[in-house]
Amino acid sequence: MTLEVAITFELNGRPSTAAVPVDRSALAMLREQFGLTGAKLACGEGECGACTILVDGRSVNACLMAAVDCDGRTIETIEGLRDADGLHPMQQAFVDHGAIQCGYCMPGMIMQAKYLADRQPDLSREALRRGLEGNICRCTGYQKVFDAVAAAAGLPKENQP
Amino acid sequence: MKPIEKKSVIGGRVPKPDAPDKAIGRTQYINDIELPRQLVGKILHTDRPHARIRGIDTAAARALPGVHAVLTGDDVPVMIFGMNKDNVPLKKGKVRCIRDEVAAVAAETEAICDEALRLITVDYEDLPGVFDPAEAMQPGAPAVHDDRPDNLSLAYKFDHGDIGAAEAESDVVIDDVFNVHYVTHCCMGPGCVIADFDTDGRLTIYSQTQYPYNFKMDLAPALGMHPGDIRVIQPPVGGAFGSKLDVYPFEPVAALLARAARRPVKLVFSREEEFINAPTRQPARIHLRTGATRDGILTFRDVNCLLNNGAYTSWGPTTPYVMMRTFSSHFRVPNVRYRSQAVYTNNPYAGSFRGYGNVQATYASASHMDMLAERLGMDLLELCLKNAQVSGEVSPQGSRLNDMAFVECLTVAGEKTDFTAKAARYAAERDRPGRIKRGIGLASSIHNAGGAKIHKSDGCGTMLKLDDYARCTVITGASEIGQGIDAVICQIVTEELGIPMADIIVANDDTAIAPWDVGVHASRTTFIAGNGAQRAAQKAREQILRAASHQANLPWDALDLREGWVVQNENGEPVVKLDKLLREMHFQDEPELVMVADYYEPPSEAEGPNHTGDMSAAYSHAVHVAEIEVDTETGEVHVLKVTSVQDVGRVINEMGLEAQVEGGIIMGLGYALSEELKIEDGIVKNPSFRDYKLVTAPEVPELELHFIESDSKTGPMGAKGIAELPTIVIAPAVANAVYNATGVRFRDPPLTPEKVARAIYEHRSPKVAAE
Amino acid sequence: MTSVTAVEGGPEEYAAATSVEQAVQFLAGGDGTILAGGTDLMVEAGRAVTNCKRLLNIRRIDDLRGVTEEDGQISVGALTSVSDMLADPVLVAEAPILADTADRFASDQIRNMATIGGNVCNASPAGDLILPLLILDAELELVAWREGGLATRRVALGDFFTGPGQTVREPDELLTAVTFAAPGDGFRALFMKSGPRPALEIATVAAALGLRLDNGAVSHVRLAFGSVAPTPIRARQTEAYLQGKELNDSVIEEAGAMAAEEVTPIDDVRASAWYRRHLAGVYTRRLLGNDT
Repeated sequence: MTLEVAITFELNGRPSTAAVPVDRSALAMLREQFGLTGAKLACGEGECGACTILVDGRSVNACLMAAVDCDGRTIETIEGLRDADGLHPMQQAFVDHGAIQCGYCMPGMIMQAKYLADRQPDLSREALRRGLEGNICRCTGYQKVFDAVAAAAGLPKENQP
Repeated sequence: MKPIEKKSVIGGRVPKPDAPDKAIGRTQYINDIELPRQLVGKILHTDRPHARIRGIDTAAARALPGVHAVLTGDDVPVMIFGMNKDNVPLKKGKVRCIRDEVAAVAAETEAICDEALRLITVDYEDLPGVFDPAEAMQPGAPAVHDDRPDNLSLAYKFDHGDIGAAEAESDVVIDDVFNVHYVTHCCMGPGCVIADFDTDGRLTIYSQTQYPYNFKMDLAPALGMHPGDIRVIQPPVGGAFGSKLDVYPFEPVAALLARAARRPVKLVFSREEEFINAPTRQPARIHLRTGATRDGILTFRDVNCLLNNGAYTSWGPTTPYVMMRTFSSHFRVPNVRYRSQAVYTNNPYAGSFRGYGNVQATYASASHMDMLAERLGMDLLELCLKNAQVSGEVSPQGSRLNDMAFVECLTVAGEKTDFTAKAARYAAERDRPGRIKRGIGLASSIHNAGGAKIHKSDGCGTMLKLDDYARCTVITGASEIGQGIDAVICQIVTEELGIPMADIIVANDDTAIAPWDVGVHASRTTFIAGNGAQRAAQKAREQILRAASHQANLPWDALDLREGWVVQNENGEPVVKLDKLLREMHFQDEPELVMVADYYEPPSEAEGPNHTGDMSAAYSHAVHVAEIEVDTETGEVHVLKVTSVQDVGRVINEMGLEAQVEGGIIMGLGYALSEELKIEDGIVKNPSFRDYKLVTAPEVPELELHFIESDSKTGPMGAKGIAELPTIVIAPAVANAVYNATGVRFRDPPLTPEKVARAIYEHRSPKVAAE
Repeated sequence: MTSVTAVEGGPEEYAAATSVEQAVQFLAGGDGTILAGGTDLMVEAGRAVTNCKRLLNIRRIDDLRGVTEEDGQISVGALTSVSDMLADPVLVAEAPILADTADRFASDQIRNMATIGGNVCNASPAGDLILPLLILDAELELVAWREGGLATRRVALGDFFTGPGQTVREPDELLTAVTFAAPGDGFRALFMKSGPRPALEIATVAAALGLRLDNGAVSHVRLAFGSVAPTPIRARQTEAYLQGKELNDSVIEEAGAMAAEEVTPIDDVRASAWYRRHLAGVYTRRLLGNDT
């Protein structure tokens, strides 16, 4: 049996506990122990961003985040974004702007987009493109993702740089 | 009540119905599904490209606690599948490429599976491998399949006119070999399958397949089953792009494990496994000769293709079907000769991939147009316009080119980009000092846009019902793989039935329920499934309006359906609320429910043995202009802007259409500049996103899209299929732009920084480079 | 015969240290593997984290995070994340090249997790962050638990690497800080990396230059390259050539040719030796010409 450690942390605004094998990733913990399958395992090496979650307010690849180190931290996943009234404005913008096709990369993309918009309210188009460099999408070509984030973040409508 | 105006939802910007669930992480993709009592399945792939299997020792693996099944080729009957009948799920006797499935394990956890695989030992006798198709054709080359000693696989030929005579009449003949490379789909959702047998031995398979019905037919022989005993469920998938149009061994292997273990088995690829095992795009050596008169009229194309078949045969070596179409109908070409030969090698093998042969062929044909223009001292746009077909022409293969907009696409592209002036200006700058050079390039192509009758039927079934609340369910054979057919069907049904899109469910994920469709390929889904949905909705509409005509005291065709009401067509006066009418129809003395069925077969012809036939019900064109900058020292190519002009027939979902075109262009840019699956001596050297370079967000150029509405007489509401052309046309546009900027022609994509830097270096200093 | 056992796996021991002392005491027990950013250790392929014996989580040692300056000496805590380096006011003011290089590193998500200590100890021949540290003449502070107390030693960064992924760090040592003298005014420092991606790229070639000019002549020069040798290196011959020279076109040209000769790249799946030499030359000329 693999060594396990008990951890407590805040998950999508709620206090949570788990017993995690010490070599487990946060991604595996979220998916297998909490049923939060929004974040995806798509590469397992931090190259694609499909597993992006927020830890203590910063975006990280959950596949590279040690579950044991979630102890005492604040974790936010895509499932925690919406509230009783409906979708988070960033989620709604992705829907409204046609930024979602197969959607597999979108939980990670939306979490990263939210992180960028919250961190930098005057996000430039160029900074937005850089900020999404760790999120791979094979379907959309990114155009409508930029449009959605720009709309949700209230950026002026302008041509691509 | 006020009169209700007719409003159309065609042409609008419609979000996908499944987008909200995807945005909140609620969608259960196949990779997320866990069946009760499910076991984990894993495959032991061989690590060598050609070897005899002398023995496999699975004793330790079988004894490992938590292991429920261990299978090798010796544990199952030989069950041959594949279009060339050259494949079996678990390999017996020898391995022929590094994908080969030597053993498989089903166990309670992934960790136990991994341990079991580690405990399996295989005794190999290495055999000499052959990796180059030209070498594999030579007498004495190692035979990949013992029963095919010459290594020859599928061959195709097409002839039209007289090449010899055409060559004699040509003032110019250009002759080049293009080597187009291995790329792979990189679906964000890695390969995944769940197999579950019931007690009668019937199989339910949760599959990423994009052709569920013929999939049953192709899977059955690999399992020794009857196709009718296979039920295919299609959960949402993380992309497909053509990679799921055949049976690949991991799926029957999962089913064999499930059968042996008597429990459901889920098998998922790691990303590394995905890179190695997913079918690639078909690479090709294309020897193209193009002839023209000094006035720029094309006289002939003469093509010889050598295809690397790989170790087994999937849809890669059949891409000549489409390549022939490109070479014979990309511009007006009176004489055509096409020959291709696929040859077995010990390489991973190719399947279908968005653009399917046309990506490869257009790279050559569109490069040649650019080269021809230069040879003739003519503007490329002028050369294109001289040879562009117009409506009413028939291609050498018998494609009836109706509702054409090729000339318009070319003209608009030229105007919007100031192509001719810029091309001249940038060419003049080439030899001036300065390390950054600008270039502009233009390319075009033609593709089928009304299905492709490669099987006896190219049709799609649709069933439609309305309940007592006027909520509609459309059961379509067409698969939703992220491309947006769900939204298009909703729009079409809303347009016909006047009910809100939110009240329509599109159901299409279970072959036990949905009717037949040939599959998502050939840019056919909007055209075929859209036509099917429209016909079904029109049947329902007529049934409803006939029922209402008694109340209205008007003939049924003087009525309309708008916003949930039956109204008078002429003035919009409400007659009866739709849901009320439906309940009245239901509960009258002879109840009448609205449940209709339709099967739409497009008016096209299957190709005959000599490869002629009007195999699509529509055709369309796209023209791309790429503007780029090259750093002539580092070789880095930055694409500044792509202008796309595409004949779409009619815009149904403007937002969905843009999304598909944008995504297709970026996919094609990767093909042009950075994506390359590096296979050396049969080994995939870069099976990771780290070293297989997809286009990322900061690299995306400005995109300007134009849609020309040629209004197809055969398409639903005039629409044509659209999704492959964007990937087909962009690569040669970029290559032509790089030539414009540097004077260096690239016949072998991708145009990586190293390749471009080296070619420019050698171009500028051939004496130094020869050292 | 292979003995059959139940599947075990994973580390036998785990600790999350909250002080340097706790951490090095754990490492003194041997067979210790350090979890810092996790961006190398947690990678799925190879399962390094599963295969290690004693796992030490050092991410809770707050003392190891942050940048301080004292008497012109800048100390970057080993756990300082790449994102923190990007924005740190001391670095932005005193050594902006570190911030610039941090901006060219991987992706936002990785930058938020990866640490400077991890990057240095991982000792990749391509280690982007190592190059600006080399041109800043950085030193490393290594701490161990020896004979019942903390033992500290300092190693020049240039002496730290012995091969790809190999360093002189003893298994019981913890890297606690990277230090360098604030360069002050007149120090031109530039970083370049192969593209076209701005960041998420294991560089085909990366280069960094640190330069001081005295009346137009080179009074101090450091030229470092990544991905052209088994470890990140300084091109010492080219540096020696440049020392004292006036930076004109022909000197720059010659330096570029020299650097291309001096580096020892290999052919690999990412690039050929030819291209790496070519880029080394191109980057040298551009860095010296202040033309990035």
